[in-house]
Amino acid sequence: MSEISTAAPGNSSDAPADRRARPSRRTDRARPRRSIRWTSWILGGGSLLAVAAFAWPFFVGAVPADAQVAVPIVAFALIPALIVALALTLDREMYTAKTVALLGVLSAVGAAVRIAGAGVGGVEAVFVLLILAGRVYGARFGFLLGLLTIAVSSLLWGGFGPWTPFQMFACGWVGAGAGLLPRWQNATRQNSSGQRIRATREILLLAAYGVVASYLFGLVMNLWFWPFAVGSGTDISYTAGADPGQNLASFALYSLVTSTLTWDTVRAITTVVGIALVGPAVLAALRRARLSPRR
Amino acid sequence: MFRLRLAPLRAAVVLAAGFVLLRVVYRVVFGGAGAGAGTGTGPLLLDMPLLRLDGPFSHITLFGPITLVGLGNAALSALPVAAVIVFFGLLNAIINVQALFARGAGRGPLRAISRSLVIAWATFPALLESVRRVRVARSLRGERSIESLLVPIFEQTIERALALAASMETRGFAATRVVTGVCEAPVVLRDAGLNFGAAPDKTGWHLDELNVTLKPATLTVIVGATGSGKTSLLHSMSGLFQHFYDGTQQGRIDIAGADRARTPPRDTAGFVGLVAQNVRLGFAAETVHDEIGFALAVRSVAPPIVHARVLEVAARLKIEHLVDRSIDQLSAGEASLVAIAAALVNHPILLLVDEPLADLDTAARDRVCAVLGQLAHEAGVCVVIAEHNTREFNLIADAWLQIRGSRVHQLSAADRPADRPAGALPIPRSVPAIDATRGGSTGGIAAVSAVPLASIRQLSVLHRPKLVVDDVSFDIATGELIALRGSNGAGKSSLLRAIALPTDAETVIVGGLDVRSLKRRARRQAVGLVPENFDDLLFTITVAEECRRADRTLAGASTAQTFAGLLGFDTVTDAAHLLQRHPRDLSAGERLCLVMAIQLAARPALLLVDEPTRGLDLGARTLVSAALVRAAGHSRAVLFATHDEDFARGLATRTLLMHHGRLSVPCQVLS
Repeated sequence: MSEISTAAPGNSSDAPADRRARPSRRTDRARPRRSIRWTSWILGGGSLLAVAAFAWPFFVGAVPADAQVAVPIVAFALIPALIVALALTLDREMYTAKTVALLGVLSAVGAAVRIAGAGVGGVEAVFVLLILAGRVYGARFGFLLGLLTIAVSSLLWGGFGPWTPFQMFACGWVGAGAGLLPRWQNATRQNSSGQRIRATREILLLAAYGVVASYLFGLVMNLWFWPFAVGSGTDISYTAGADPGQNLASFALYSLVTSTLTWDTVRAITTVVGIALVGPAVLAALRRARLSPRR
Repeated sequence: MFRLRLAPLRAAVVLAAGFVLLRVVYRVVFGGAGAGAGTGTGPLLLDMPLLRLDGPFSHITLFGPITLVGLGNAALSALPVAAVIVFFGLLNAIINVQALFARGAGRGPLRAISRSLVIAWATFPALLESVRRVRVARSLRGERSIESLLVPIFEQTIERALALAASMETRGFAATRVVTGVCEAPVVLRDAGLNFGAAPDKTGWHLDELNVTLKPATLTVIVGATGSGKTSLLHSMSGLFQHFYDGTQQGRIDIAGADRARTPPRDTAGFVGLVAQNVRLGFAAETVHDEIGFALAVRSVAPPIVHARVLEVAARLKIEHLVDRSIDQLSAGEASLVAIAAALVNHPILLLVDEPLADLDTAARDRVCAVLGQLAHEAGVCVVIAEHNTREFNLIADAWLQIRGSRVHQLSAADRPADRPAGALPIPRSVPAIDATRGGSTGGIAAVSAVPLASIRQLSVLHRPKLVVDDVSFDIATGELIALRGSNGAGKSSLLRAIALPTDAETVIVGGLDVRSLKRRARRQAVGLVPENFDDLLFTITVAEECRRADRTLAGASTAQTFAGLLGFDTVTDAAHLLQRHPRDLSAGERLCLVMAIQLAARPALLLVDEPTRGLDLGARTLVSAALVRAAGHSRAVLFATHDEDFARGLATRTLLMHHGRLSVPCQVLS
């Protein structure tokens, strides 16, 4: 049995004693850490840049006339690049067995929900999962879950296109936002009725966030696509030279008729109903996954 | 890397067409469908009035004239974007992105995300299977709410994620350093203690004063009641207990020289192998080859070396013919052998095996036992098995670790644990008095009560391409407690499901009614089934809530009362501590009783229970057999399927034997 230690090529270096003395990293019990690390700065900065890329129609006026043609192209290149950058940043943190397994399995569930939803008249229920998982496992996990859910479902179903990176980002934000919602740490150790009130309050908070997220998602997705969807030559078209007020009004009307009144409202209702129906049980299941299982 | 899949291309074409159409609609609505300046004027199609908006929207007018040229222009202007959409569809159709993920999952800066994507892909078949299972469970419970479908599916998915994570962790996924093992002392426990101190623990379970030393080339079996901590003791050696399940360890546990409290399982993957309880849940790859080679691939071993080692291990276990198969094409026995092979690929010093026999039939059990015995006695591995089916190991075990209370006793091969479940099973005290001599055949039963409670007539079930239930007919009389016996795959579960949810008319008659023709509620009052995967019926967050939901099925039902009764409590208040718990926090035996109570809430004339003893030890079996006897008091007859001869003999008033989908001649119970 002595070949065991030398069996694999990766085994050449022995663990130095000083490394052993160091406290082991306990990332697999990942609790949201309060301290702000450099990755937080990357994530925040990346998100800000992405916001700018989403809102490119409103920035065109600020660039010199010669460069205006390049603005949409830059925006289109920026979003996938940011996704890769943020994915690279988060990849190291996610590299534990439990996180990877949960991420993979949950994004499969999300993709299945999304594809099944497309089959029943575009009822988008995927936000339910993103919000609940983001709430329990934190903003970073929620962000990645959003990215992967869209990636998997697009590749599987075939709805893959120039919009996919934008969708990935927007869904990532939905999951991340749920992770950033306030938590009431048990200030007082409550009895069972107190716990029930807290659970109800949590569901209400998440449902309210679901409504906000649904409409914001629609708005953000409309924003970058608006000049392409309408083209030029209509009265709600994006006009590069016009004053921001007029463009904003055009966009508002475009957004209203395109999705706010229809898809976004359906999505908001689906999300609220979904969170109310399965929220408590799914939150419990996700939280139990962090606890000790049965023996 | 490349392949052709037409579905994405088709979807892209549909999307592109939709996009062009949408742009035309925008132009029509927002006054852009007239011919623009400089393009000339085409024929006017429709002259709609102009509508000017107010306020901030004053620059916008709706409708206006529509010309053919205007529509054409709109469609043309949309073509570039439409072309981009089709282009992306084409890319998606020819590039096999999955293969890229699989390549990136082993190494590289995106290995975590790539591995997640591989797992997501592998999860889809399991997800479809779980939807199928839960839909059956839901119609058995008579529920139609959305949560009764989604919550059990979600619970199964989380369970899969955790099993997967544990199996990846023990095979060295995300290992940060390399620890070398010492072969001479595989397991040394000195004054060790285990508990769940940090986690909110309701049961107060703990093990103390563990002093155990195991030598190489021995086979040790851990025995003890369900909930006594066999699995926890096993995982205190694998390290999952301390580093994955949030358990707390006192004292010292050394595994091949490594301090278990400080060394996570991923760092000892080179010399500790683990075969988990439900091996299928832990499969992380898509083919048998990749599954066996997983532990090497995550350490970035070169593919040719991985391939050679996979073949070597497969040859050792004589499963070379399985290597090219897909993971989901394995039988239960084959899956166990593949999991053992995957644990052996690193040539472990210590092999830990958790309940390897639970799902296997006799032939597969013998095969697995022989393999484990060989590994210990010929290859020199220290094998530790947690198992309550101890009979199979009597000949090959070198030592026993028996858990009694909070202590572990190390016994030699000679003094086997005294309370082996495999021996004589104590017959429940409250078996109703039944004349065992009556009725040597179905005809005899019919002679006792003129009209049978239920009769099954020429029932067949076809699972393509096999007839799993082949023309089965028998009668059930009031007051019977029937055991349906047969080996794995004999068709017992299919038969029970077909009785509960018949697909053909006039095959299942209960109380003179054809069950096929009954509505949901009336059907549940005729037949209730507790399926083998009884957890699928649970979907709320407390036991009390489950009981309330079940009470809705019939006015005046008290499921909580029935539940308490099945557990042997006199009143509901005695079981109050259980009612506030999460249903999935109950022990397996208690959960089975809960599901029986839920199914009894409809007061079915006939209660069917599939494999009530699966995974249960002696104590839980006694609980369940007593519950079955009590259930016979609630309904008018009980039929349970089991492959456990001892259990059936102690309990049933009559035994039916099933073989290859057919019912053999009903055999007589000998008292």
